[in-house]
Amino acid sequence: MSEVYKRELVYLVTAVITVIMFVEYFFLGTWQLAETLRTYATIIANIALGLGAITLVVSHAKKIQRRAAGVWAFSAWLLIFLAISFLSGLAGWAMTGSGQGNPMYDWFFRYVYTPLGQTLYPITGFYIFSACYRAFRARNIDAALLLIAGCFVILTNAPVGGAIWGGFPIIGRWFLDYGQVPGMRTFLIVGAFGMLAYGFRALLGRERGFYGEVAGGE
Amino acid sequence: MSSETIWDKLQNIDRKVFYWILWIGLMIPFIRPIGLPISIAPSTRDLYNGLLTLEEGDVVWINIAFGVSAWIDCMPATVACTKVILRQGAKLIVVGAYTDADLSWDKLRNSVPDFDQLEYGKDYVYLGYYTGGEAVVAQIASDIRSVFPTDAYGTPLDELPLMKEVNSVHDIDMVLSGDTGDWGDYYMRQWASPYGIPMAEIGIAMLASSYMPFYKSGLLFGISSSSRGGAELEKLIGEPGEATVIMDALSVSHLMVIAAVLLANIGYFATRGRRR
Repeated sequence: MSEVYKRELVYLVTAVITVIMFVEYFFLGTWQLAETLRTYATIIANIALGLGAITLVVSHAKKIQRRAAGVWAFSAWLLIFLAISFLSGLAGWAMTGSGQGNPMYDWFFRYVYTPLGQTLYPITGFYIFSACYRAFRARNIDAALLLIAGCFVILTNAPVGGAIWGGFPIIGRWFLDYGQVPGMRTFLIVGAFGMLAYGFRALLGRERGFYGEVAGGE
Repeated sequence: MSSETIWDKLQNIDRKVFYWILWIGLMIPFIRPIGLPISIAPSTRDLYNGLLTLEEGDVVWINIAFGVSAWIDCMPATVACTKVILRQGAKLIVVGAYTDADLSWDKLRNSVPDFDQLEYGKDYVYLGYYTGGEAVVAQIASDIRSVFPTDAYGTPLDELPLMKEVNSVHDIDMVLSGDTGDWGDYYMRQWASPYGIPMAEIGIAMLASSYMPFYKSGLLFGISSSSRGGAELEKLIGEPGEATVIMDALSVSHLMVIAAVLLANIGYFATRGRRR
């Protein structure tokens, strides 16, 4: 099958599925055909998880093979832990006959993954603190307004703001409830129109980025 | 001799100094708790009041779309909401959109003592991890069994008394989505908007501004924003928990950010004339 036919096929499949979903959502409520297609989408998404793991292994194996400067050691660690978790999962499955209640897997998740995950998020607080000092300068009137609004919102979120002055939460809440809502509404509505335009372009086969990698890397 | 002034030096402080200042500052409330009063945001109060409208036998769907890294922001509110839901006599179905959903479910299960008085399968069900983005959320709305033929423990849904009567969005009375990303949007677009299912959002602080227009338009009946929202809910149910404890640390860290911004700007304006 030539590249042209492959691309046309992708256009056709996308267009047909788009029309089916559109008709179901706006006109029918539920449609068995659309439900079946969504079931396929769910299955494909699950297959993509496995495919993602394979791609991950291939990509990082190549980095190790090339001894990519500054990253190959991290790639090696990633593959080592991927292998450990995969093998421990298999071993637990062999022992218990189920994906649940695997003691080795549980141990990794509870005592390695959970503390690491919980540490990762708060660490950003330290970067934000340092970045605030370096970046938040009132260089012009726009930046000054942003800073003032930001300070009020910060003092609204922290109980200490209200303890210092009862006006901080009131003004901060105004920024949250009314000050930013019109801007966010505009952003959301414009974004939605953008998505519609993107969808129509994809439907008509004019959105090359959408098809490029699928149909020949254009 | 260097002509650097104190303001010039302040402009170039090593970032490690900030890390230490913040770390030491955060230790203070843990050594000596401050216990500042917490006011309730209208969006949190509406969330709480919305949960109080639940009646015995209503079915609530909780979507855990946050990983362990966001427990600090989302879990306290999820725990408080779960307590209210169960005390209203409503049934609970929990799903997880992150690969570590089992851990979050365990944390939720262990943080809500009310579960001990209830029967799994009859009063609450955990369906486990699912993936597929917005398409799968739409699919669950029309046929839960096509996505979850069994619960997370491998029991077919038809063998669970609670699930015998539940097969689509029409059998669900309320949705709560705990998010760090887009899953709340999927539920709004595929459940709340087309089917009118009451929905509330439990999100990280950043999401509060994103979801505020939907709350104002009535698509969301309430929002809990970050650990602050969790602390407010804990206050509303009269059971101080994890979020209440960390409010002091939040106060200290936020005050330090304000101080850093002020100091940086004083230094900036003090040295601006010479830079020109």
